[in-house]
Amino acid sequence: MSAEEDVRVKVAVYRHFADTARRPEIADIAARTGLDHGRIRAALASLRAQRLLLLEPDGETIRMAPPFSGVPTVHQVEVNGIAYSANCAWDALGVVASLQQAGRVRSECGQTGEPFEIAVGRDGPEPTSWLFHCLVPAAQWWSDLVFT
Amino acid sequence: MLFFRSEERVRAWCAARNVTPRPLVTMPQLWKMSVTWYSTRLEGESRRPQPGEIRGIFASIGLDDPFWDPLSDTFG
Repeated sequence: MSAEEDVRVKVAVYRHFADTARRPEIADIAARTGLDHGRIRAALASLRAQRLLLLEPDGETIRMAPPFSGVPTVHQVEVNGIAYSANCAWDALGVVASLQQAGRVRSECGQTGEPFEIAVGRDGPEPTSWLFHCLVPAAQWWSDLVFT
Repeated sequence: MLFFRSEERVRAWCAARNVTPRPLVTMPQLWKMSVTWYSTRLEGESRRPQPGEIRGIFASIGLDDPFWDPLSDTFG
């Protein structure tokens, strides 16, 4: 494991999400980095420790590469005709910010389920009175990131 | 971390769960948070903000409640 390999794996993971809107398998990461299974697993563990990824218990399935989600969610983002799942409301805008292109966020009101849709340009979202609310204090976000 | 149509709905959501409402964030504030955290995420040298930076980032957009303080959030 090395810092240089961590960066290669991180870029491979994020580029795969950006290109496909899907989480990469080990084989996808290997194809982009040329690293073997063991080195990729080590890099994934290191990236988890740096709080750049959240892994499933098997240590190699990517649940979150914030702002991207490895599983479908209610927070959907369309950019350049590709539909992404974001981990939360914050990450929905984060997908647009990370791709640095205009997009459209589709989600819902946490209380009523009323659909929420907003255009997000490269300079930010169109005006809206909708709000963001986070229940978990910042110091505890990574204690249970899925709940957060 | 959810969207809500109004403060009223946030209060209803919290009341239904017997939890205290937290500071509300406007969409312009949320965009600034998103850009700060994620605009360079696809680049090799990007990194997540560290706790000391996080406090300053939130304070700069008007979120200075202790709720936004990462406190002992130490890592990597």
